[in-house]
Amino acid sequence: MARLIRTEKEVEGRFEEVWLVVEEDPHEQWPAGPGAVVGRPAVRQDAPERVRGEARFTADIQLPGMLHAAMLRSPHAHARVNKIDLAPALALPGVRAALGPGEAKGLDAEAGYDGAPVAAVAAETFEQAQAALDAIAVEWEELEAVLDPETAVERDIFLADPVYHERGDFEQALANADVVVEGTYRTSVVLHNAMETHQAVCEWVGDTLNVYISTQYIWGVRRQVAEELGIPEDNVRVVCEYMGGGFGAKNSAGDYAFVAAELARRTGRPVRCALTRREENTASGNRNATIQRLTVGALSDGTIVALGGEFINAHGWNGWSTTTEGPMKMLYACDNVRTTRYTTKLNIPPMQAFRAPGFVEGTFGLECLIDELAAKLDVDPLDLRRQNYASSNDGTPYSSKNLSECYELAAKHWERRHDVRARSDARWKRGVGMASQVWFGGGGPPSYAWIRVGSDGRAHVVTAMQDIGTGTRTAMAQIAAEELGLPLTHVDVVLGDSARGPYATLSAGSSTTPSVGPAVRAAAADAKRQILEIATQRHDLAEDVLDIRDGNIVSADGSLSQPLEDLVGLLEDAQILGKGARGPNPTGMSVLTFGVQVAEVAVDVETGEVRVERVAAAHDVGRIINTLGAQSQVEGGIIQGIGHTLSEARLLDPDTGRTLTTTLDAYRMPTIADVPEIVCEFVDKPDEHLTNLGSKGLGEPPIIPIAAAIANAIRDATGADVHELPISREELLGALEEAKRKERRGAPAAV
Amino acid sequence: MELLRPSSLGELDGGVFVHGGTEVVPLLRDGILHVDTLVDVRDVVPRGVDGNVIGAGTSLAELEADATIPDALREACRLAASPQLRSMGSLGGNLLQSTRCWYWRLQYPCRLHGGDRCHAREGEHREHAIFANDFCASAHPSDPAAALLALGARVRTNRRELDLAGLYRTPTQKARDIVTLEPGELILELELPPVEGSVYLKAMDRRRWAFPQVGVAAAKVAGETRIALAGVAPVPWLLGSLEDATPLPRTAWKVDVARALVQRALERLG
Repeated sequence: MARLIRTEKEVEGRFEEVWLVVEEDPHEQWPAGPGAVVGRPAVRQDAPERVRGEARFTADIQLPGMLHAAMLRSPHAHARVNKIDLAPALALPGVRAALGPGEAKGLDAEAGYDGAPVAAVAAETFEQAQAALDAIAVEWEELEAVLDPETAVERDIFLADPVYHERGDFEQALANADVVVEGTYRTSVVLHNAMETHQAVCEWVGDTLNVYISTQYIWGVRRQVAEELGIPEDNVRVVCEYMGGGFGAKNSAGDYAFVAAELARRTGRPVRCALTRREENTASGNRNATIQRLTVGALSDGTIVALGGEFINAHGWNGWSTTTEGPMKMLYACDNVRTTRYTTKLNIPPMQAFRAPGFVEGTFGLECLIDELAAKLDVDPLDLRRQNYASSNDGTPYSSKNLSECYELAAKHWERRHDVRARSDARWKRGVGMASQVWFGGGGPPSYAWIRVGSDGRAHVVTAMQDIGTGTRTAMAQIAAEELGLPLTHVDVVLGDSARGPYATLSAGSSTTPSVGPAVRAAAADAKRQILEIATQRHDLAEDVLDIRDGNIVSADGSLSQPLEDLVGLLEDAQILGKGARGPNPTGMSVLTFGVQVAEVAVDVETGEVRVERVAAAHDVGRIINTLGAQSQVEGGIIQGIGHTLSEARLLDPDTGRTLTTTLDAYRMPTIADVPEIVCEFVDKPDEHLTNLGSKGLGEPPIIPIAAAIANAIRDATGADVHELPISREELLGALEEAKRKERRGAPAAV
Repeated sequence: MELLRPSSLGELDGGVFVHGGTEVVPLLRDGILHVDTLVDVRDVVPRGVDGNVIGAGTSLAELEADATIPDALREACRLAASPQLRSMGSLGGNLLQSTRCWYWRLQYPCRLHGGDRCHAREGEHREHAIFANDFCASAHPSDPAAALLALGARVRTNRRELDLAGLYRTPTQKARDIVTLEPGELILELELPPVEGSVYLKAMDRRRWAFPQVGVAAAKVAGETRIALAGVAPVPWLLGSLEDATPLPRTAWKVDVARALVQRALERLG
């Protein structure tokens, strides 16, 4: 029965109270361990299409008569358009329409950063559209630009109110501590730089707007575009069959979508609006920089008694305030925690969610601080973490927590540190570092799936979710195959089209598998029940002695083994239709993901070069659906995190606020040559309280601990405290110099 | 824009030369270079290695795989750019590439663009020069240029012969172009003296596909050891002493890196 509940919903660490209709979910979880299909490695079902170039991404959409849009962007960090003349642009060859400030969502007269869009043009070719931008006459009024976060805090220039939190008595606990460690940590802006840039193609067909878009949330785009255009949501069809990456920057419809829709409306032609790589690097969102002033107090026996932090989220013109203090509040048992978070509004490019927003930054600071505490206490960093293990989330029980098992899995990798250090020489110093992680990733309702089993005995899962490149399409097929007792080759998944299937949630917050997966299983169970009812009548056997295994109807005593298509083939055109919904999350419980990573590095102490040689990861995300796909998520998170830790730096001109690193030779993501050996392990225990699967999400957890693990390994190797990301040669050589100075002053070296 | 494809040197008559296109095409696309006539010189510039003479049209990919090429140049080619770029890019074109200075690439009205200030000096300059950086702090990005400078290469153009060092000049108020070639002048060949040993070491931000933070070429030629650096001055830099470096606030680290690499290069050379 459908049940109306008032519940707390979490996305990317943000909570809100919502009304929800949830379907009771009567299905028992499968036993722990691998099943016939689930819990085993499966190659992506769409791999052949991708390899053959047949997979149709938004970038591949070519429609008859399609126009190309380009956006005019502010050349000032903060300015107002006082006057704009679009006429000269409209007079140019090929130009069909132009929009000024206020004529599409996202085009504003006040430009809050260098690169903010204020106008747009549609032309027959992209080159014509770009050329037309130069013809637009703009009278700018330059406004004061604030570029420095500390200045913004002093002057109360905030995007959101400061957030203050205290549990226990931080000051008192700190006064009673035997050992106190303080540190200031800084993280820099990093960019998503997904392979497919932000883009949309909009086409009006009668009263309906078709939106082809690279998105993490087709239903969100549908609602936002309908709202903006003032048309019914059912008149907006959103399509995203294949997607070249989002990482959080494509959670909602951006200016490019609204611009394409409006230009399509005005011209009666399909319009593509696609960001260039340079625009992607200047105006498509980023992980904001942070400044973290952290304090930890502990007793001499290693008990952490006080944790405090002042966090500045150095946001640009837009964005939302991430919970950078989250790890400090959640990772360790500590009765006295005090945090303050400031979220500045600067005249620099906007913040967008980026793979575990807030927690990546906060974990770097916290986990470096904990290692510095371990050094000061002269205890093993792994022992210190185990000693301060949190047994509840500030009083709320966990639905499941297997971080201790992660530590257990990590221990053998941690043990290697003696051998790793022994391989140091005069030039290359080697060391091992670790960091742990907590994050959300439980997903939630609503999400729905339908399933159709035809007379050929094959199943089609239909759900209007999107696979943003993580392989969730294959995971959904595995879940359906497991429940239906079909080989994986007999199941396919139809997704990525809001007009072809029921609602499914956004692919963010590590939520696709835990949100949509249980709905797919419920739909498959519904279909299976119907099939077995038919089989019972056909074979005159009791329903409870029948099952489907590897595509055959079988009886418990083995007397019956009939290919499914022989049974459903009798039905000719009839179809078995199953439907399923995501059930509720457990009430009164924290659904969280956990993990530990151990990094081995080599540091060239003369040139400041850092090589990550090996990373071992142990993660607890409940039941693993696709062991191969899960491994790929872990590897991807670690590699992306290595880039953020060592080589990626988005630089702005300190005078003008203009982005200087606009191309991929200047903004340096790792290449395959920078990728270390990665060892990936999972606890793989179903969360018995969470849905009919017991699975949590894995998209984000692997990127969270890597930066601190590398920084701690550098300290282990060299004694240098690295407090700032990225760890450039300049940063590292400075830290090594500082470590030498400390040693000369007689302070105890860390190693 | 007109594209010409001459088949002999005699047909050359103005225009901007393009060979592999890995530099000229992006500069055209970004509107930094404005051209009426583009001249594809692939049929007129020699390609290939003949003893100690290297055709300027030889690709970096060909050089990195040629065992007769001195180690410093081979290694400089191997560590440059990406495999795709090295397959397209010619040695001659590589020597003539422009700086990666972000201010220059983004067309700030800097001194190299004819303006009156160096934005990098007061702005973001962590990848910039430590020598000859008073007028312009840009860093020369060519790995092969540093190798050829250390090796003492001679350059033959369609008009003259000169030392590789003579191909470059530190930019000044009067002469802002870092290359001494005249309009219509085309590099045809590079000639190497007999080399007793050579080495190229490179510090970069990631293991592949990055311009040099510091590149160090060392070569022993006629009993004399010469060291040249990439990424440390507006032009490929023949090293006198690192003590003479004039680093900017955020480029001091480059001096340390250069010192370590120079020492290693000399050790390697024996």
